[in-house]
Formats: sequence, structure tokens, C-alpha cells
Amino acid sequence: MRIVVADDSVLVREALVRVLRDADLTVAGQAGDAEALLACVETEHPDVVIVDIRMPPTHTTEGLVAARAIRAAHPSTAVLVLSHHIETHYAMELIADGGSGIGYLLKDRISDVAEIVDAIRRVAAGQSVIDPLVVQRLVDRRRTANPVDALSAREREVLALMAEGRSNQAICQRLFLSPKTVEAHIRNIFGKFEIEDMADDNRRVLTVLTYLRRETA
Amino acid sequence: MSRLRNLGILAAAIAAAAVAGALSSTASADRPLPAAIALHIAAGLLFVVVGLVIWTRTPGNRVGPLAIAIGFATFIDDLRFLPYSAAFTVADYFGPLQYALLAHLAVAFPGGRLRSRWDRRLVEGVYGWVLLSNLFPEVFWASALPAGPHNLLALHRDAHLHTIVGNVHQVLNVLVALLVIGTVWRHWTLASRPSRRAMAPVAWASGPVAVAIAASNSLGLVDPFGNLKAGTEYLTPAALIILPSAVLIGMLRTSLRHSAVGQLVVELRQAPSPARLRDTLAQTLRDPTLQLAYWVPQEGAYIGTDGRPVDLATVGPNVSTTLIERDDQRIAALLHESSLDEDPWLIDAVAAAAGLALDNERLHAELVAQLAEVRASRARIVEATDAARRRLERDLHDGAQQRLVGLALAVQMARDKLGATPEAQVREILDAAADQVVHALAELRELASGIHPAILTEAGLGPALESLAERAPLPVSVTVSVDGAPAPVEAAAYFLVCEALANVSKHANARSVSVCARREDACLVVEIIDDGVGGADASQGTGLRGMADRLAALDGRVSVVSPEGQGTHISARIPCALS
Repeated sequence: MRIVVADDSVLVREALVRVLRDADLTVAGQAGDAEALLACVETEHPDVVIVDIRMPPTHTTEGLVAARAIRAAHPSTAVLVLSHHIETHYAMELIADGGSGIGYLLKDRISDVAEIVDAIRRVAAGQSVIDPLVVQRLVDRRRTANPVDALSAREREVLALMAEGRSNQAICQRLFLSPKTVEAHIRNIFGKFEIEDMADDNRRVLTVLTYLRRETA
Repeated sequence: MSRLRNLGILAAAIAAAAVAGALSSTASADRPLPAAIALHIAAGLLFVVVGLVIWTRTPGNRVGPLAIAIGFATFIDDLRFLPYSAAFTVADYFGPLQYALLAHLAVAFPGGRLRSRWDRRLVEGVYGWVLLSNLFPEVFWASALPAGPHNLLALHRDAHLHTIVGNVHQVLNVLVALLVIGTVWRHWTLASRPSRRAMAPVAWASGPVAVAIAASNSLGLVDPFGNLKAGTEYLTPAALIILPSAVLIGMLRTSLRHSAVGQLVVELRQAPSPARLRDTLAQTLRDPTLQLAYWVPQEGAYIGTDGRPVDLATVGPNVSTTLIERDDQRIAALLHESSLDEDPWLIDAVAAAAGLALDNERLHAELVAQLAEVRASRARIVEATDAARRRLERDLHDGAQQRLVGLALAVQMARDKLGATPEAQVREILDAAADQVVHALAELRELASGIHPAILTEAGLGPALESLAERAPLPVSVTVSVDGAPAPVEAAAYFLVCEALANVSKHANARSVSVCARREDACLVVEIIDDGVGGADASQGTGLRGMADRLAALDGRVSVVSPEGQGTHISARIPCALS
């Protein structure tokens, strides 16, 4: 698997590159800003791009813009966006088109090698990856008539994993549940939320996140 | 006091008029025509009345007393009808004094003072001439003295000499009159517009008077048989009656400017612009050449309304300077026609009114400038604070946060490299270190977001408020229908909501909060409404107070309505036109 890493912090970029190489992944290129990243993608055609959201020149959302540009120009290239600050707003922007192979993770996650490698493999496989912190915020959010309160503890666990973009199979493995049980939980959740279940995993992430986000007071 | 004085003078004048009337109408010899007597007495009385009016209105002006004196002098001539030679002599000798007084009035009009040395000499000369030259026709008498009252000064009887002296006297009289007329003409040509306004009626009236006096005098030369004398008897009093009226009209035209001072004070109620103030003052003083110069302490100079410095030491001829001061502080100077000095009351009143307006204007300007400075400095402080917050967040992001992520990675790698070695203690230490780093990162993230939420600058007020609501410890609904307000305005709104939400969660015991941001006119309106216990006091607690200050720096306003038990409604309006 060929990976391109873009981060203006040399310290973080090189540490990440070393971790990836240790995990037997190929780092095809490195970039310090969005412009260099886009040029690198054009020449290297990587499978996965890992990009910091905040890069020169304005240090705001260059990484996000680059991610969407890459997704539009190279649908086969998966993109994992990293950020020190996690915002639902950006997560929604990234998965808004329901497209596959896109991820949004807190930068802290790269300290857990297993987790970051798992996330890379998942986006490369065309799944969506949403940081647990985003999901946690949405699930924990206080509401006046809170439909989340109607869920059982187990259903909430399933909801969180589903919202993070994990497949039924992954949920089964994580929670040591049979596929039938997980499917039953998911049916219950959609029933209690009064929304329609989606066959497509990525569409399901968007639906669940939109639902959790929409609900306010 | 002056009222009593006026009544006394008036009573004396009426008495004198009555006596003069009685005497001249009962006298048997040389009896004048009744209509001429009436005109003569009316002219005298009119002069006294006019003099009194002028004296009362402008006590400092000698025109009043002069006019009164002329009135009384008119009656001197009537003393000749008393049955005493002494009275006849006084009447004959001092009668012409009236003409000297008239000349004095003409030269001194309208200010009442003799301004130049020539004027003083001329008036002194006229008095001298009248008193001295009259001696000759008195002394050289023509005919035999009558049995009744007669001229006591008639010492030498010589008809021939009397005619010659009389004629020479008349000619010289005309010359003196011409000198006086010439001087008055010169005054007219040099006079300022306000002076001319006063002089004009007198000048117009003086024509007939001069012609009449000249005619009655010169007729004696061409009319030795006295056929025309009856006509000339009407002529002089008729002309004289016009003159006091003209004097009064002239003086009234001047004093109209005095009443204009009252109007000026009314007009100056609203602080006028410097140029308009100058125009108003020029109009009040009827001096179109008026200049207004402001004292500018920083420059140490007077600056005209055109912005150029004015040197008071080198003003032009016929220009006088009146300083406007308040509390011993220089404020401004008026550069006006010198003729206005004749009316010090007027110029003082105008200067005082202008001083009041200028002082008000100055104080107002100072206040406005200070206020603007305070506003600007508050806005600068807020902007500087916002910039400092952004910089701090960025420094944390690029520094501590990146390094901690690097550190977390290093600890993780060390742990992996440790593999399955039996040094369990080291593994425990590394696990604890990794845990600490993760916590540190989380805390730093919160801190950075509290210092300055990156999403506010990156994505705007809506997503930033949504993010705030997501993490709030109670249900918060957010409705934002505004986009692209200036950064300081959005920051103020954001931190206001932050503070309000913190207060609600701490004190309000509310079930839910709704936050709404929308645009109204050119303002960003933010409302935070909770259903809590109410009773919040904006003046209590530094949080909301600080927010109010922050909004005020942007010319914004915040209101807190919080009735006991009915929740709290915080509403802020921030103008977006700023910055």
C-alpha cells in the first residue's frame, strides 16, 4: 500500500513516516503544504493520503480543501484527515457526499500505531472513518427529548461503532457479538430513531451522524 | 434714577417750550407768525425727546445729551421777547449756539465721540467762531436802540459798518458750514457699512436743513427789504423739525443691531460650524469683512476659519481686534471694522455670545474627540486581545501540541520496542507516560479551544456556536441565519454566548437554552434565552460585565432581562458596519 503524508510539522511527519514504515507500509511521498501534496498525488498516485487539516499558508483548513480536491480528482485515492481539534462540522463536510474512503481523526490517534494502521486500512478499503470523539460528543449531547436515552447500553455501543464507520463485521469482533445480534441491535436503533436503515455502510454513517446532529432541543 | 432724570428734563423742556410759546406769541414788536412759532417750539421739543430716547437706550453715547442741548438751545432765541434788555442780549448773542451744537452733533454722529484731532479742532473752532464772531454784529449796531428791551452790547452805532460786518459774518458762516459739511462728507466716505446705516437718514435730512439755514441767512443779503422774510421764518424751523427725527431713525437703525445680539444668542444655541459662526457674527454686527480667528494652543497662534494663521499685531487699517476669552483663557479673536469700537456695548455683547458658543463648541469637540479616542482605544484593545488569543492558540498548536504528539509516538514506539522483555516495571512506567501524554493532549486541546476556537475563524459563527452547543452540559438549540459578519463582531458574539452558557449552566437551573443569531438592519443580533430561575443581574459578576465592555468597544449593546422565576433573556446588538 502506497501512502503520501502531508504535515507542515516536520517532527510529526517524520515520526509518522517511521511508524508507517515499521508497520510495513510504503510511504511514497511527503509534503509540507497543500500545494506540494497535490503535486505529489499527481505523480505518485498513492492509495492513501494522510493530511494535516491545518497547513501553510493560512494555517486554517488547507488540508480539508486538499482532501476534497483529491477525492474529486482521484476517487480511488483514500484520504485520512488529521487534526488537533475535532469538529463535527468538518466530519460532516468530509462525508457529506456519502463518498467512500474518507476519514477524519484526531491527531493524537497516531500515537496508537494499531489504531492508525487500522484506520488507514479501512479508508483504503473504501470505508468511512470518523473519530470516536466526534461520535462521543454527538451521542453524549444533551437533548430535551433525547432519543439516545431510549437505547440500551449495548445499543449505544453499537450506535457509536456504527457512527465511527465500522462495518457490521467489525462491530461483531469488537463487541464479541454474533452478526445476528448486531443486526438486531441496529434494527432496534433505527426503529427507535424512526429512520430507515441503509444497506450501504457509508450512507449509514452519514444518516446516523446527520440524525444525531440534527436533534437539538 | 435715569427715569427721574428723564422726567425732570422733559418737564423742564415742556416748561421752556410753554414759556417760549407764550412769550413769542404775546410779544408786540417783531412778532413772528403763529405757525412759525409752533414749528419752532415743536422742533425744540422734538430734539429734547429724541435726545432722551437716545440717552436712555445708549447711555454712553453723547448724541443723546447733544440732542437735548440742541432742543434747549432752540428756546434761547425766545428770551428776546422778555421785557429785559439782558434777556434780549443773551438771546441775540447765544441764539446761534444752536448751530454750533448742530455742527457738533453732525461731526460726532453716530458714535457721539470726536474721533480725530481735526474733528475736535473743528468743533472747538465752530463753538469759538459762533461765540466770537457774533460779537461784531452785536457791537456794531445799525439803527437807534428801541425803547424796549434791546441789545446791551451795541456800543457803536454805524449802519455802514454794521452792513459790512454783517455780510462778512454771513459769508464766513457759510464757509464754516461748508467745512462742517465737508468733514461729515469725509466721515461718510470713510464710514463702515454699519456707521453708514446710522448716518444715512441724518445725511439725507441735513440737505434740506443746510439749504434752509443757508437760505435764511443769505436771503438777508439779497433781500434787504424783507419781502421774503416771512417765507424764511417757516423754513428754518420746518427744516429743524426733520433733523431730530432723522437722528432718531439713524440711532434706532444702530440699536437694531443691539436687538440682533439677542437673536444671535438664540441662533448660537445649536453649535454652528466655524464658518457659519463667522457668518452669523458678521450678520449681527453688519460687518461683512469680519474675521474670526481661533486660538489654537498647540500652535500658539490664532488660526482663521480658512485655516491660516492670523497675526493680530499686523491687522490692516480700520480693523480692530476684540479678544474673546473665557476664564482668562484665550478662545478666539474678532477682527472687525474699527467703527464698531464706537459701540463697545454691542461688540462686548457679541464677543460674549460668541465666547459662549465657542466655549461650548470647544468643550463639545474635546468631548467628542475624547470619546472617539476612548472608543478607538477600546476597539484596539479588543482587537489586540483577539489577535493575542489567536497567536497563543496557534503557538500552542504548532508548538506544544505537535511536540506532545511526537512524544506520544516516541513513548508508543519505546513500548513496542520493549517487546516481551521481562522488565514489567518499565512497561508500566511507559504505559503511565503514554496515558499522561494523552491526557495532556486532551487538556491542551480544551485550553487552546477556550483561548480561541479555531473553528470560529475557519468556518464562522454558525459552526462555532454549534460546536459550543454540542459540548454544553445542557440542551442548547442553535439557530444562526447570519454569515460573514466582521471577525471582531463574530468573536464578540461567540464569547458572549460562551459566557452566557457558562452562567446558565452554573446558576440558572434551566432545562434548555436557545441561542439565536441573525442580522437585523446592519447589526448582528444575538439572543440567548433560557427557561431557568431568572433573577440574573448583569451588574453582578464580572463575566457578563466584561462581555458588555467587549460589545461596547464595537458600539454594541447588551441587555439582560431576567425576572424572578421566568428565565433569562440576554440580547445583544452589534453593528456590523464597523471595521
